[in-house]
Amino acid sequence: MVELSAPVKWALRLIAVGYVLMLVGWPMVTLAQNAFSDGLTNFTSAFSDPDVVHAMVLTIEISGWAVAINTVFGVGMALLLVRYEFPGKRVLSALVDLPMAVSPVVIGLALLLVYNGRTGWFGPTLEANGVQVMFAMPAMIMATCFVSLPLVVREVVPVLTEIGDDQEQAARSLGASATQTLRRITLPAIKWAVVYGVVLTFARSIGEYGALKIVSGNLSGQTQNAPLVIAQLYDNFAKGEAYAVAFTLVLLAVLCIVIVSLLRPKESSS
Amino acid sequence: MSIEIKDVNKRFGDFVALENVNVSLPTGQLTALLGPSGGGKSTLLRIIAGLERADTGTVSIEGVDATRMSPQKRNVGFVFQHYAVFKHMTVAKNVAFGLEIRHRSKAEVRDRVAELLRLVHLSQFADRLPSQLSGGQRQRMALARALAVQPKVLLLDEPFGALDAKVRKELRDWLRRLHDEVPVTTVFVTHDQEEAMEVADEIVVINDGRIEQVGTPDSLYDQPANDFVMGFLGEVTQLGNVRLRPHDVEIARAPDLAGTVAADVLRLTRVGFEVRMVAGTEDGQEVSVVTTHAHARSLDLKEGERVWLTPSSGAATVPAMHALVPSGLAG
Repeated sequence: MVELSAPVKWALRLIAVGYVLMLVGWPMVTLAQNAFSDGLTNFTSAFSDPDVVHAMVLTIEISGWAVAINTVFGVGMALLLVRYEFPGKRVLSALVDLPMAVSPVVIGLALLLVYNGRTGWFGPTLEANGVQVMFAMPAMIMATCFVSLPLVVREVVPVLTEIGDDQEQAARSLGASATQTLRRITLPAIKWAVVYGVVLTFARSIGEYGALKIVSGNLSGQTQNAPLVIAQLYDNFAKGEAYAVAFTLVLLAVLCIVIVSLLRPKESSS
Repeated sequence: MSIEIKDVNKRFGDFVALENVNVSLPTGQLTALLGPSGGGKSTLLRIIAGLERADTGTVSIEGVDATRMSPQKRNVGFVFQHYAVFKHMTVAKNVAFGLEIRHRSKAEVRDRVAELLRLVHLSQFADRLPSQLSGGQRQRMALARALAVQPKVLLLDEPFGALDAKVRKELRDWLRRLHDEVPVTTVFVTHDQEEAMEVADEIVVINDGRIEQVGTPDSLYDQPANDFVMGFLGEVTQLGNVRLRPHDVEIARAPDLAGTVAADVLRLTRVGFEVRMVAGTEDGQEVSVVTTHAHARSLDLKEGERVWLTPSSGAATVPAMHALVPSGLAG
């Protein structure tokens, strides 16, 4: 550690704390203040609206699906990227990171182009067979999976790389099959990375707005998730209710972050 | 013969790891695969275990062709240089792994694990996690884990390579004693010739993907097949046009013997009971000689004096194949 003089130390602390306070702290406090401006009135009024309750339930439901799908594919993809050599591996690795770089709105538009019922690549065929993708659950889950795709993969890859394949080889030489090795050796070893990835995926999923705005159709009480309902309430001058729902979402996200920080020490000691 | 390797070739890209390897490893013995790093010995061990597949050639274990068999069907125990412990399991669970995979009864697993932990002196650590053990203890646990499934052969890949010198020496002696107690066919890879000579019944010297010589430690040391084996198993010097061990050079103060070579003492170094002498011949060759302190004293050796050097009778010699660096010490 470089020794800093006391005034410099205090100045640096002030800048760091001030930066976070101005950007995150103050707006959040204001949000909470506005949400509770009339006690719990905003909350009771917001959550007595069935559309809002539906949106909250829908958000959790979509996030649950996205977490489940991305956990399975994320662990599989991480195993593929770390343990196997194949042509196109670098391209695949880059594609996994793409959702981080591309705006969710663009992702929504791309999905719309492929799956819409009139001119999309698969859309008309699927709709002819009675599968409604666009403006329904499937498209909303797909869009959410897309934006949260890298989170599990990027948590698991470094852990898999670090533990190496010695333990897996030892298990194989002791008579374990590939599935037994995965279940008894690999999965327990990456357990905390997966949990961490799952929590991040969930936190990311409950807040998704841009991609869903395009692919959901934004129908109240049907395909509207929580962020969409917040925007609508705000646009309809129901600001108090919008703050209340927003605060609830923040609370959920904070809960996720708390869980993650509680898990972290365990991760390092395992 | 327990393990038969026939015409095995293995390449990694352009790198030839093994070239036409043919060797039989005897049942019930402790065999060392000895050679410099990158020589192909670990690759050969991994091919025997099924962790690597040979490009061509066959491997049979106890008379069964294992060439295409997956590692879990071969019934071999494998011990890795870096232990490969299952970090999230206790010591007892680690040892029990192979038995639980084989669906043995709870009572049988418990008894066998207890017996093995006793064998490797880890009984009191049964409920610890591997991270709470020292390196030597972890490797003993890995050995117990490999032995638990009663493998037909036990394969160890540089098993003591990651340990410090003192623990390495202890484990080496302990492995030898363990093998005498549990005489399972054992093959271990090492680049340390002292380790191989001390522990193994038989040594296979591997260099550059080829087998240089197979034999007992004594026969390898006394009758090396070539320059490389001689150099790898101990110190070598050159006298005239033969290469031989520095302690196989006889020193005389007068030219009594036929074929003796005159030289002047250049340097004398005493290390404990032995004396190391470097002498320069009239051709400019520098010869290393090792003798006892008592013998050096009786000859009254001093720097700058003339001596006569002769290969001692029965010394292991190989003809010098090429011009050597003076007093080249290999090892």
